[in-house]
Amino acid sequence: MSQNLNELSSILKSVEKPGRYIGGEYHRVMKDKAAVKCRFAFCFPDVYEIGMSNLGVRILYDVLNKEPDVWCERAYAPGKDMKEKMEEYHLPLTAVESGDPVAAFDMVAFSLQYEMCYSTALGMLKLSGLPVWAKDRGADAPIVIGGGPCVFNPEPIAPFFDLIDVGEGEEVLPEICRLYIEMKENGSYTREKFLLEATKIEGVYIPSLYDVSYFEDGRIKAFTPKLPGLPTKIRKRIIADLDTVSYPEKLVMPYIETVHDRIVLEVYRGCMRGCRFCQAGMVGRPIREKSPETICKAAKCLYDNSGYEEISLIALSISDYTRLRELTDGLLSWTDDAHVSLSLPSLRLDSFSEELMEKVSSVRSAGLTFAPEAGTQRLRDVINKNVTEDDLRRSVGIAFRGGKSAVKLYFMDGLPTETMEDIEGIAGVAKTVIDCYYELPKEERPRGGVNVTISVSCFVPKPFTPFQWEKQDSMEQFTEKQEHLRSVIHDRRIRYTYHNADTSRIEGVFARGDRRVAHAIALAAEEGVYLDAWDENFSYEKWLDLFRRTGVDPDFYTTRGFGLDEILPWDMIDAGVSKEFLLREREKAYRAQTTVSCAEHCNGCGADHLGGKTVYCPKKKGGDPV
Amino acid sequence: MNERLASSPYVTTTPEKNNGGYITVRVRFRKTGSLQYISHLDLIRTLSKVIVRTHLPLWYTEGFNPKPKISYAAPLSVGTESLCEYMDLRLTEYVREEEIRAALNRNLTDEMQVEEVYYPLSKITDLFWLSYEIRIHTVGASEELAEDCRKVLNAERIPIVKKGKAGEHEVDIRPSIRQAEISLDGGEIVLRCILRADANAFLNPEHLIKLLREKCGILSCPVLIREWYSILRVEAYRENLDLFV
Repeated sequence: MSQNLNELSSILKSVEKPGRYIGGEYHRVMKDKAAVKCRFAFCFPDVYEIGMSNLGVRILYDVLNKEPDVWCERAYAPGKDMKEKMEEYHLPLTAVESGDPVAAFDMVAFSLQYEMCYSTALGMLKLSGLPVWAKDRGADAPIVIGGGPCVFNPEPIAPFFDLIDVGEGEEVLPEICRLYIEMKENGSYTREKFLLEATKIEGVYIPSLYDVSYFEDGRIKAFTPKLPGLPTKIRKRIIADLDTVSYPEKLVMPYIETVHDRIVLEVYRGCMRGCRFCQAGMVGRPIREKSPETICKAAKCLYDNSGYEEISLIALSISDYTRLRELTDGLLSWTDDAHVSLSLPSLRLDSFSEELMEKVSSVRSAGLTFAPEAGTQRLRDVINKNVTEDDLRRSVGIAFRGGKSAVKLYFMDGLPTETMEDIEGIAGVAKTVIDCYYELPKEERPRGGVNVTISVSCFVPKPFTPFQWEKQDSMEQFTEKQEHLRSVIHDRRIRYTYHNADTSRIEGVFARGDRRVAHAIALAAEEGVYLDAWDENFSYEKWLDLFRRTGVDPDFYTTRGFGLDEILPWDMIDAGVSKEFLLREREKAYRAQTTVSCAEHCNGCGADHLGGKTVYCPKKKGGDPV
Repeated sequence: MNERLASSPYVTTTPEKNNGGYITVRVRFRKTGSLQYISHLDLIRTLSKVIVRTHLPLWYTEGFNPKPKISYAAPLSVGTESLCEYMDLRLTEYVREEEIRAALNRNLTDEMQVEEVYYPLSKITDLFWLSYEIRIHTVGASEELAEDCRKVLNAERIPIVKKGKAGEHEVDIRPSIRQAEISLDGGEIVLRCILRADANAFLNPEHLIKLLREKCGILSCPVLIREWYSILRVEAYRENLDLFV
């Protein structure tokens, strides 16, 4: 919104956080409009502070702008107040860098990070003046692209996108732009021809080229390509070698405070653990690591170019990184002198050590967070969260001796096979932590007592996990469990918080929904549902009403559960792990039998067929990138 | 160094480390255009990263969580542009003024650029008055309306309601207004004024806009985009109205 600042000024002065809308950040990429051949609007369906914090967007913005004839710009969801003003004064959604309307771009891509952003993505299309349904967009409209973790089940949003890219985007997005530029230049471009040609790029899914038919009871009957020669499985893209893939050397520096306002370094992708509820761990496979050298080089470079004094290492379970000591030593060799602090999220109970705690300054704060996820050993075995009470005792012991007096514990309720005994176990775990504190000699524990926070979220079964067929708990079950847990907590040193089950129910519908769910999402956008990942904007009743009016039965996708022989809405995606593996894991879950990590031996998940320079996969170990 | 600085008794070219082991250097910069929408807190956050990027020999505070120290004068509120923002930085050694300026400007965008860097002999808190140019693009701008505004601002007492920690209370802002001239220029009402800027009696120019809106009906069109106003900080002064350096 760099144009007409005078006229806009009255609007900007009337909205919350006007700094969201001005752009002009240091290190933003500016290019000569006349010299670029593909203008790419990278849209994040949440407010600026959230979108600017997203690592994926930072990476892809950088990758796309390395193409000299592509100009990637950013667009974020305006706050509710700003959206109202834009509608009132007919101001279209614009890209941050140039201030040009998003509708005038060649490509408009959305990063879909969580299901509850769907209505916001459509809201942004509407603000741009673009029809939300792909079929309603004209020949000259931008190609609307969807990507990100959500598209492992693309179906509930498939009808809104011209093109969906599944998996890691660093290579596929530039390839899409190259194809577009080539076809524009040789005169062969039409929207239809381009989309058809794009199906040849691995990782690309063109929803309009497929039909879905249904049985009378609502289950999927068939998923059929409309034309011969189209792939029947869309294989997700992965980056073969994380040491050679492009990583930003500069960060766009936000003027206003963002959620993760720091240097974020990716350490590896995937996860060797195989927790049975965890989609990120499964769809990130095969596990590929960056070398400490690559990460340290990136860290120094980003520090020099940003001035951030905090570096955060991210991975699904950072202590599983095979070369963690080399990495932290490499970083600590200069960070202390430069007054830079290190933080490591996602610490596991079974690998937390004194050494790690001392290295990590974020741990200098009063509290520590762990995720036992379930309250009893039996249920932790069911979900394959391989941590024990001993791990917990050991870890909190280290924490207390290290001067921490606050421990936060994450759990889920509604897990498969869960009973009230498991729910009571959550309170038991909190009690154990308190006991551990008092078992320590007075001089070894922090003064002023201990407090434990337990935070319980509602389990949502996700595609490409061993629990993808599971029934989700009903509202009544969730509520009953939440209330039961409250009733068994009597200790005032325990603080109990829980997530609302209603959001998880809606999330459940989107997570495992099919194309018919799209009608409810479209109607939601039509009726102004927007930014409802934010509690203050979320209305469960509104969604139930939208489902009712569009003939969507939320129970069908949640409490019903999916049959093992049923065609799943996301079956056309090859996410790496095989269905056979997921079924085996499901069986083991019912027997409360754990599965060892990839580091111990290969469990045959199947993701190695994607190739890549993987860490553990026996056939590929140390092998060349494919 | 420009003439104003060169002739000022408050500027030295041979600074020495004080007892704390640092030298204070003063930076005057612009903050204009869309950066008017960046709050003072966000400005502090931004500049704390900017100065680290310069790789200047910054002095860090002692203690558990060492940080570079930046001092500011008269926080600028959202919606106000400025040609005369000041910050004091602490360095562990002398660096040529021009070098500091270049290092900062390399790390800033064009809407925020450093114009002067010097080693001061005054305190940043000596900044006492600030002059502003306020342009009001309002429906019904006319000589009569300008005259109405003039009357309001030239009254002997100008009571306004301020919100403080202890609730609302009435204050007379007349003593905080050193000068207030109103003219009509190209269909806009232009107010040039000099207002108190020290921490004891800081007067935010937004109070004058609010006052004129209530008393004279400026900027009250319900269609937001028909009207606008801009506030620009122009110059800073010492208590005796000498230029602040």
